Amino acid sequence: MQINGGSVIAMVGKNCVAIASDLRLGNQALTVATNFEKVFPVTDRIYLGMAGLATDVLTLRERFRFRVNMYTIKEEREIEPETFAHLVSSTLYERRFGPYFIEPIIAGITSPAKGSKPFIAGADLIGCLNFAKDFVVVGTASDELFGIAEGLWEPDLEPEDLFETISQTFLNAVDRDAFSGWGAIVHIITPEKVITRKLQARMD
Amino acid sequence: MECQVALTGKGYVLVAADTVAARSIVKMKHDEDKIKVLGSHLLMSYSGEPGDTVQFAEYIERNLRLHQIRYLQPLRPSPAAAWIRRQLADSLRSRSPYSVNLLVGGYDIATSEPHLYWVDYLGTLAHVPYAAQGYGSYFVLSLLDRYHNPEATLEEGIETLKRCIAEMEKRLIVGLGKFKVKIVDKDGAREIEL
Amino acid sequence: MATPNVYRGTGFDFSNHNRNEFLSNKGFPVPKAQSTGTTIVGCLFKGGVVLGADTRATAGPIVADKNCEKIHYLTESIRCCGAGTAADTEFTTALISSNLELHALSTGRKPHVVTAMTMLKQMLFRYQGHVGAALVLGGIDATGPHLFTIHPHGSTDKLPYVTMGSGSLAAMGVFESGWKADMERQDAVDIVCKAIEAGIFNDLGSGSNVDVCVITPEGTDMMRNYRKPNERVQKERNYKFRPGTTAWKKETIRKLVVEETVTYISGNAGTTAAEGGDAMDTS
Repeated sequence: MQINGGSVIAMVGKNCVAIASDLRLGNQALTVATNFEKVFPVTDRIYLGMAGLATDVLTLRERFRFRVNMYTIKEEREIEPETFAHLVSSTLYERRFGPYFIEPIIAGITSPAKGSKPFIAGADLIGCLNFAKDFVVVGTASDELFGIAEGLWEPDLEPEDLFETISQTFLNAVDRDAFSGWGAIVHIITPEKVITRKLQARMD
Repeated sequence: MECQVALTGKGYVLVAADTVAARSIVKMKHDEDKIKVLGSHLLMSYSGEPGDTVQFAEYIERNLRLHQIRYLQPLRPSPAAAWIRRQLADSLRSRSPYSVNLLVGGYDIATSEPHLYWVDYLGTLAHVPYAAQGYGSYFVLSLLDRYHNPEATLEEGIETLKRCIAEMEKRLIVGLGKFKVKIVDKDGAREIEL
Repeated sequence: MATPNVYRGTGFDFSNHNRNEFLSNKGFPVPKAQSTGTTIVGCLFKGGVVLGADTRATAGPIVADKNCEKIHYLTESIRCCGAGTAADTEFTTALISSNLELHALSTGRKPHVVTAMTMLKQMLFRYQGHVGAALVLGGIDATGPHLFTIHPHGSTDKLPYVTMGSGSLAAMGVFESGWKADMERQDAVDIVCKAIEAGIFNDLGSGSNVDVCVITPEGTDMMRNYRKPNERVQKERNYKFRPGTTAWKKETIRKLVVEETVTYISGNAGTTAAEGGDAMDTS
């Protein structure tokens, strides 16, 4: 997990969710790129974040895109966040004895038919799901993120408040981690829109 | 001790690689070309396990050529890099993985933009403005942090590249000899003399 | 290779094994999976069985989930507590639950607890302990209440009261001193609750809340968070940031509502909004 570095966090707010990742791609101590996003849109209202080995982040992004497309074609509807979380979980557990070195985070809003409810989930590298009601964190800065999020998160944050809380949590956590940082990207997902913001971070 | 450097500028990508073929402590060759021209507007420099490198580079070269013959047009830099990455990622899961690190530079004639990709043997792919592989990267990347300009003219780009090569000559304990430099821009891929 | 088919064969996929071994030889060991340090218990009483579990999931020294669910559904009248590698307990019980449902459908009978136990132990034995699930299985069937433990290698015990997981010693202490044959329902729930609390407070791998599940011939009562001895107090201050605290370099907004048209139903004079359309004749 420390070869390439990187961290991801997701938080629940009032009728909204937010997900953020850092932008560093390293090769051990050497920073190779500072534009490596680890959060990807799955559907309009579901985002998937992955921290861990970069080659697996890229491979799994391709695999999930493929499997979600197949689901959409067969079911003739968009996948729900919870269904997608189980898709991620079983894809990882299939490799129980030869895992992909990533930990995923899913953040999304359920379809309007299901009430546009906020949803987040995390999993370990072999797909054990964690349906949290507050926040989920993964990556090399996960210890720091756990602590800060535990202190700063509170229920029913409005989108703009959630943005401040997740951004401050994330920026301060990655500043204490040598393997994460070099900028961050935050997505705030509401039933009406997705706001994406790039943050400046320390470059050391 | 193999080293490769590449950087993008205004409408071009410059790729430089050392020319030494070494075995253990012995230099076997001083004029090894480690930059393959993969298509009219695509370059790939490679380093890593001797044997694997050439084998893999030729495999990529022939398959991209096959694609061009089948579909009458070459792959653009981004899909080409994604496909090359996939070959390495799949190879890593096989019994005998290729141990090859790459820099893929290309000029996208559709959007008139230069692209550079950093790829390692694990199948990690990064789209970057400048990149380096090997021990030289520890010196060269900090230089490029300071001197790289995405809007630089070719003359300025070459000047920056010369600085990088000079730094490697100066700091690495083993001299790498002459560097081969290739460029890809709107006129295609070709070798240039520094 | 990218498979053009989403239907892959069943079972585990070992294709990353070579690569991961190569990486661990280079000094990058396989990252640790989440595990449930766990206290899980079960206890027979007059006419039924009670299962209990704590709700902490750990990843090394970190508490990964403070309120996870460790009493898994197998059938309506058979439940299973899981300890060990979290994903293994989750997927093993889900798989056996599916197979029991199919079994019930094909035989037309409710599955026996021993059937569930046999399916679980055969699966765990097949994987020689590599599927790291330690289970407490309890339920009611045509032959009465039953309680089992199943170890990761596939061995089983049938006992009147059982404990498992890292908190099993603390919990067993409670049972050894307080268990009696043919207890009343409430007494059984109380001792199970006390056993779990012993694990929560004395074992670092266990924590948070107590889940209890009572299974009797009348039905199953899943009491999620039956006790919450570690509830977090209200924060004394709120830590909201002033809007504008975080500076951003670039913002893009993707609108999900692409277009909205409101068609008013005609009839109420003056509210018809359809331009150029004739109002419907409602006379």
